[in-house]
Amino acid sequence: MKTDIWLKEIKKVQLKDGIAIVGSPGLGSIGKLSIDYLVKETKAELTATLYSSHLPLIYHTKPAYLAHYSLPGSAGIKIKQNEIDLPKVDFFTKEPKLILTSGYHANFDGCYEIAEEVVKFLKNNRIKRIIITAGYGSKEKKVCCAATSQKLIQEMKNKYNIETEYQGPFYGFSGLVFGAAKLQQIEAISLFSGVEAKPGNPEFPNEESAKLLIDILKKMIKTS
Amino acid sequence: MTSLFQETMNVDIKTLKDFTPREFILISGLPGIAYIGKLSVEYLVQQLKAQKIADVYSKYFPPYTLIKKDGVVELLKNELFHYKNSKSDFMFLSGNAQAFSPEGQFEVIDTILNWCVTNGLKKIYSIAAYATDKTINIPTVYGTSTNSKLLEEFKKLGVVPLNEGVIVGENGLIIGMAKKRNIQAVCLLGETRGYQTPTGQYLIDAKATKEVISVLVKVLNLEVNMDPLDKQAKDMDEIITKMTEVEQQIQKQMTQSTKKPSYVT
Repeated sequence: MKTDIWLKEIKKVQLKDGIAIVGSPGLGSIGKLSIDYLVKETKAELTATLYSSHLPLIYHTKPAYLAHYSLPGSAGIKIKQNEIDLPKVDFFTKEPKLILTSGYHANFDGCYEIAEEVVKFLKNNRIKRIIITAGYGSKEKKVCCAATSQKLIQEMKNKYNIETEYQGPFYGFSGLVFGAAKLQQIEAISLFSGVEAKPGNPEFPNEESAKLLIDILKKMIKTS
Repeated sequence: MTSLFQETMNVDIKTLKDFTPREFILISGLPGIAYIGKLSVEYLVQQLKAQKIADVYSKYFPPYTLIKKDGVVELLKNELFHYKNSKSDFMFLSGNAQAFSPEGQFEVIDTILNWCVTNGLKKIYSIAAYATDKTINIPTVYGTSTNSKLLEEFKKLGVVPLNEGVIVGENGLIIGMAKKRNIQAVCLLGETRGYQTPTGQYLIDAKATKEVISVLVKVLNLEVNMDPLDKQAKDMDEIITKMTEVEQQIQKQMTQSTKKPSYVT
């Protein structure tokens, strides 16, 4: 473990052929909304937290996920109900097979390394598949997918009738977790829900688009 | 465990295929203005059927992944390809990104040069773009090198020495760092208008690319079928002609307009 990224394990978990769902704030906050919903719905337990000096409290880029080398942001703490905490990535577990990862955008210096550490942690916890949730710019309210292999794309078409549609860059925490998963040879699928970005605030939560994605996610969890 | 980066490494070269080091010439072209460097190298790799030897990953590449047309995700990376004929060995360097920061650009190039030197690098040809706003009929190929004598044979082929100017990014940096290491290197620059789409994406300039490759293959005695690139260059020429016409029309309208601007600043 590098000294600028540290992991606090709260509880040891026992998973076998698990599934990780990964989401972070981003376009329409689809990823964050879906993870928050699943944590509540499944009553998953916080089992680990990743901290890093590359996780700023205040971003100097807008939106936050467009990291730039000359704009590292500013560190700081959050205070909630008299509790102090640092910016972090949380891992919630619902045994025997689910890890929900609540992501956080790193600054330029840490983007790749944090994604790598997250995937390493999931791999060490015997995750066989990662499902990433995010938004993509579209006027249509629909969900499309991408994956680390053609085999998985065919599975999404045949089993859930989800097509590929989005082509282009995938920014931020979730995009790099997706790439790191491919490099570490872990199956990963990304679900993108169509969001019309709010001018000036693309991360403004879009609950309607998030719900569309969550409905598909539920089916995928049930059948996995 | 496969790791994106080795501990404390910011640039990681993953060798994919066994490769016996021999003296080789490196031909480098990374994405930049009008994609002249990238297209040149990728065209040569395709035509010569060069074999992929290694992938280069770095934390300095822009922080995103790419979703390809078929829906499969890909990390940003540089790639090294190997080709040999009866006379020489060649290594080709291209990829889908350049490092994002000056520190990153230095470190990526330094790491690649270390790898190349260890494996037998003897000379470098880098390909870049020379951006201009003048109308271009046949793009000029400009050249610069670590030693002026190296340019002599290029001059005979019509290459114009670049006596002044800058080469921004890794396509220039690679010959700068080669000079520091006393490695012979030449940079060829294809003249281009560097047209961009409304979203800021460069249009690929196949016409300028063709001119650069034509020079390079003569110097390196490589046999390359230029027909597919010719076709791409002709198609590109039509697009550029149309864009130039539109540009001229707009300029004409602007100079003829007697209307006062309908805004204040």
